[in-house]
Amino acid sequence: MKKAFKWSNLYLWFVFILLYLPIFFLIIYSFNAGDVMQGWDGFSLKHYAELFADTRIIEIVVNTFLIALLSSLLASILGTAGALYIYDQRNQLIKNIFLSLNNILLVSPDVIIGASFLILFTVVGFSLGFASVLLSHIAFSIPIVVLMVLPRLQEMNQSLVAAAKDLGANNWQMLSRVILPVISPGILAGFFMAFTYSLDDFAVTFFVTGNGFSTLSVEIYSRARQGVSLEINALSAMMFVVSLVLVLLYYVISTRSSKNKKRGTRLVTPATEGL
Amino acid sequence: MAEQTPIIEFKSVSLAYGDTEILKGIDLSLEQGKFYTLLGPSGSGKTTILNLISGQLAATSGDILFENKRINDVPVEKRTVNTVFQDYALFPNMNVFENVAFGPSIKKMSKNDIERQVHDMLKLVKLDQYADRDISELSGGQRQRVAIARALANDPKVLLLDEPLSALDYKLRKDMQYELREIQQRLGITFVFVTHDQEEALAMSDWIFVMNDGVIQQNGTPEDIYDEPINHFVADFIGESNIVDGIMKTDYVVHFVGKDFENVDAGMRPNERVEVVLRPEDLDLTTIENGKLIVTIDDQSFRGDYYEITAIDDDGNEWQVQATNSAQVGERVGLTFDPEDIHIMRFNESEDDFDARLESYEDDDEE
Repeated sequence: MKKAFKWSNLYLWFVFILLYLPIFFLIIYSFNAGDVMQGWDGFSLKHYAELFADTRIIEIVVNTFLIALLSSLLASILGTAGALYIYDQRNQLIKNIFLSLNNILLVSPDVIIGASFLILFTVVGFSLGFASVLLSHIAFSIPIVVLMVLPRLQEMNQSLVAAAKDLGANNWQMLSRVILPVISPGILAGFFMAFTYSLDDFAVTFFVTGNGFSTLSVEIYSRARQGVSLEINALSAMMFVVSLVLVLLYYVISTRSSKNKKRGTRLVTPATEGL
Repeated sequence: MAEQTPIIEFKSVSLAYGDTEILKGIDLSLEQGKFYTLLGPSGSGKTTILNLISGQLAATSGDILFENKRINDVPVEKRTVNTVFQDYALFPNMNVFENVAFGPSIKKMSKNDIERQVHDMLKLVKLDQYADRDISELSGGQRQRVAIARALANDPKVLLLDEPLSALDYKLRKDMQYELREIQQRLGITFVFVTHDQEEALAMSDWIFVMNDGVIQQNGTPEDIYDEPINHFVADFIGESNIVDGIMKTDYVVHFVGKDFENVDAGMRPNERVEVVLRPEDLDLTTIENGKLIVTIDDQSFRGDYYEITAIDDDGNEWQVQATNSAQVGERVGLTFDPEDIHIMRFNESEDDFDARLESYEDDDEE
């Protein structure tokens, strides 16, 4: 079977190869028996062994995921509440003010957010470390969740709310049994988005971390300055695989939830139960 | 409709958004166990009345009474009325059973009671085989039934239906009209049905409120409203009508299209200007000699059980005729009708005046 040759396809492949080439280069060299990225000395897993023996880096990986999980979870709750407030706001002026404030946070550079958090924490005498990183990650994740949830609310059939009230539901029952399940795909998307943003954030974390607490991106940056060890390559390779799995997971969940809404609803309830 | 205590009463209820008046001083009274229809074009305020009963909207002024208690300030979820929404508003995250069980489960009924209630309701709407289906798997007609079952599952005293049949095809709509009427009679609760379809209203209702511009134009039984429309709007909106200007010379004599006709209306000023209504189905084709009106056939189309004919008289008035016999286009024929087929409408007569006038000369007849 012959298909017509398309230049657009060729271009697409070219772009993808260009984008992924450095990553694959990095991954391939993580298996190098030598200690530098020049010259292939044979296949070896020794950098992976070094990585797993490095307790500091393991601790940092755990910290990074903990921060990502906690911050995206809390941001999902707060962001959903915020989206509900903006959606429910009848005063057009207040609605627009909140929307603009949300969007400004979304587009303002991480460096500025990081620096302003550093100033805030210093002024109020908050010690830098796990809590400061968590708080700032929650802060920059909330607008992302709002952005993902709000369209779902606006798409939602208005009469569903009317119907729930009509059938005797109070506000809480209406929220927990009708609105949240209906917008759950948006909350789920917001959660995953916030999770990945937190996972690879460098700029904000760089400003607000301290007292020996570090996340992966900051740690890799500081190590890379002392000359790249192939241990970092091994770590990057593993991170890449994890991201890939996350993306695939998200894809599977979102397609399944659109096929079978009930299953998608159940998957997201842990994230929204605290609301 | 006077003896029984009304289940719902409106006392000069108005609703306005800024300067825009949606409802203007509505008075109405609904009895237990009847099928009411609010009929009117879109924007007439009929759905607004429904939303005031359900509590989705609040009146600007006036009192809304439910079983003689003022309910203006009772929130939606505390009212014992339920609504079938125009777009059904079924919860997409629940299956058929869960949708119908929503109301009962909120009322904290026991699991067995909920199951029995849902089963009964689904049986009532003939969907008992569909309990486990997802909403997305249902056809429009089935969704409609789920919406009705869900609203009825709360045992409402009044069921509100907001143009529930408008999205269904003709055949299904006919079937549902019949079934809704049957459900209403079996349960014996009050139905308030909103529609813009006059045929639907005439077929289903015990009592019709004809609405336009935020005002009830006329209310009465389907027969009253069809046979005795109070004004041009009602005559035009309910069924097909031929409406011409006329002069009521004396009681029982009306003058239109250049001739005097005997009729059965009275109680007006001598030589009062009026509008004359003749329904197309009351007009029959006849020979020119026997015709009360002489017309030329302009257009004719076959409608299955009758011929829809458009004819023009010598003054240029257009006449719609539903005749059982056909004619030739361009042919000159006579039109005939009985004195009781002529219906007279006065300009700006209120419903109360209209009723009073009818009573006054109908009493005369009896004496």
